[in-house]
Amino acid sequence: MVHVQHLFKHYRNAEHPSVDDLSFTFDEGKIVGLLGPNGAGKTTTISILCGLIREYSGDVNVLGLNLKSNTEELKYKIGVVPQQIALYPELSCQENLMYYGKLYKLSGKVLAEKIDSLLRQFGLHEHANKQIRNFSGGMKRRANIIASLLNDPTLLILDEPTAGVDVQSRSMILSFLRSYNEQGHSIIYTSHLLDEAEALCHEVLIIDKGKKIIQGTPKAIIEGNDTPNLEALFLKLTGNKVRD
Amino acid sequence: MQRIIATYIKEWHLMRRDLGGLALLFLMPVILIIIMALVQDGPFKDYKDHTFEAIFVNQDGGKVAASIRQGLLESKQFQLIETYDQKAIDFATTQKLIQKGTYQFAILIPDGISAEVVNSANLIANEMGRQMGLPASLPHRESREGMSVQLMFDPVCKPAFRLAITNVVEKFITKIQSDIVLERIAKLSQSAVADTGTFDIEKQLRSVGVKEISSQEKKMMVSKMNSVQHTVPAWAIFGMFFMIIIISDSIIGERLGGSWTRLKLIPGSFSDILIGKMLFYVLLGIIQFYLMLLVGIYVMPWVGLPSLQLGHSPLLLLIMVTCLSFCATTFGILIGSIFKTTNQALPVAAISVVILSAVGGVWVPVEVLPDSLRAVSLISPMRWGLQGINNLLLRECSWHDIVKPCVILLSGTMLTMFLSWMIEKKRMDQ
Ligand SMILES: Nc1ncnc2c1ncn2[C@@H]1O[C@H](COP(=O)(O)OP(=O)(O)OP(=O)(O)O)[C@@H](O)[C@H]1O
Ligand SMILES: [Mg+2]
Repeated sequence: MVHVQHLFKHYRNAEHPSVDDLSFTFDEGKIVGLLGPNGAGKTTTISILCGLIREYSGDVNVLGLNLKSNTEELKYKIGVVPQQIALYPELSCQENLMYYGKLYKLSGKVLAEKIDSLLRQFGLHEHANKQIRNFSGGMKRRANIIASLLNDPTLLILDEPTAGVDVQSRSMILSFLRSYNEQGHSIIYTSHLLDEAEALCHEVLIIDKGKKIIQGTPKAIIEGNDTPNLEALFLKLTGNKVRD
Repeated sequence: MQRIIATYIKEWHLMRRDLGGLALLFLMPVILIIIMALVQDGPFKDYKDHTFEAIFVNQDGGKVAASIRQGLLESKQFQLIETYDQKAIDFATTQKLIQKGTYQFAILIPDGISAEVVNSANLIANEMGRQMGLPASLPHRESREGMSVQLMFDPVCKPAFRLAITNVVEKFITKIQSDIVLERIAKLSQSAVADTGTFDIEKQLRSVGVKEISSQEKKMMVSKMNSVQHTVPAWAIFGMFFMIIIISDSIIGERLGGSWTRLKLIPGSFSDILIGKMLFYVLLGIIQFYLMLLVGIYVMPWVGLPSLQLGHSPLLLLIMVTCLSFCATTFGILIGSIFKTTNQALPVAAISVVILSAVGGVWVPVEVLPDSLRAVSLISPMRWGLQGINNLLLRECSWHDIVKPCVILLSGTMLTMFLSWMIEKKRMDQ
């Protein structure tokens, strides 16, 4: 599903490369966790995978499409939930979703029904006409996810979808991700919550300073390194030093 | 098309909730236009229509001084202040009152003025009589140098005001002097000239005057130049450019808020989104401009100013305003592309609008600017907008008179769009 070879990205104004010779493969139909400390290069990697960053070196193939030549085609097949709440705070949830839906060239009943069913699924249908800025943190995160599902993406990429949300919202988001995956969609997700990742992901890739540290199923890499859980393994591999 | 319309509607939803932005776009320019039209009405007004309060100090007890006083009173242009605190005003009090700004100017008649005027009138009359072969019979002496009616102004008074007052008083004194000369000549010759009953000396003296005539063949509705005709279009253009604050704010907000990222993740050309956004603001600019014109037409009479006349080419005016609005919109997009935060963009946007309008002829006509600034004004979209709109509202004008301003404004539009695109591309490729 995702095939990356010797990926390298150095921002013009940055001191060090943000992604440094990274190679990995993710299989189709899985939930994969992209993990790493702050500044490890997770967002940068994701931005390259979805075509937001175009200046990089290396070979990237997503859903069988070469990134450099097929960015437009790829955009139809993937959904990206940005780390930020990428919605207009002054617009209502419904208006935001209508707008993004129309940009995907959806319209009329099809769009209205799709928005309605997603709002129900995420427990937001009663708040559809509330402005996003009046949403709670958890509601914002859920709305942020809905906006990336309007095109029924084959591959869903989420950058910290559960950051700053309460237990209830988190549990709703995670159960949605599981069921979405069971319907045959692939998911790549980043998080700093390692017990969450351990429970959710079929496979994890830990990176640090833009480099690959380890990849495998949570169970296999935890046992292989003789650690009690993913968090202990993470600390063992990435160290205790606080990142700038 | 669907994407363009969707973006247009989204901008509308954002705008209608942004009360501050709406106030900046519609309320502020309305207030600005009314205030500016009132303020700038002053210099356009004929000072003849105005009554001034003037301190009048008469140190001369003579006849001429008395007739100057009488004349000033009768002219109704001056309200003479001769006492203060129930005391006659002297030179020292005058200085104090003017310095304090209690009154703006004073007219001082020094001692000896009457004698001097009569003396010089006698001199003239005698000389004229001599040339006519009459004996010089009026008493006279050598004329004294440096005798003059003195004017004292509040230091705050503008040069234009001083000049206007000086002219009025000077004209007035000249009239009194010539009256006296005529009277002397009449006395001297005892001729029919004295018979003012059949011969109107006043009228003869004014047989050649100065009168403004129209440069226009067809008689335009604007019969007399007035401040409204100049200030309303100028300040409406100024108000339109305030839109750049709102546009740059919107663009930076979208970029920082992450919506920009999402928009770029959606397949399809980004230009649809940009066009939708642009069209919204272009239309907003046009609506705003016409609202300002309506203020010029309907509100100005309420505040005692003449109503704005729209000229004869509504279609050309619409074209001109559309070009201007395109230019303002893309300028806002450029500012929004250049700066990373609104804190950086807002002052630059506001100050650049003020600078471009100052060199563009909004405050004072481009013609009175120094050469260097006049060269700079060539890059001000306000200058070209104002030129085109003035052509339509003040002159009789056909389409070829607005081609140049329109082409320049649209070229500016394309240039700013190109620059914004370059900057955005560079940002993407960092
Ligand atoms: N636009 C940019 N210009 C310069 N440097 C950047 C830019 N974006 C990210 N970086 C740098 O690249 C490195 C990786 O950043 P990235 O955002 O990919 O990390 P991350 O793993 O997502 O971190 P976090 O967990 O904090 O979200 C960091 O050192 C960051 O400072
Ligand atoms: Mg990140």
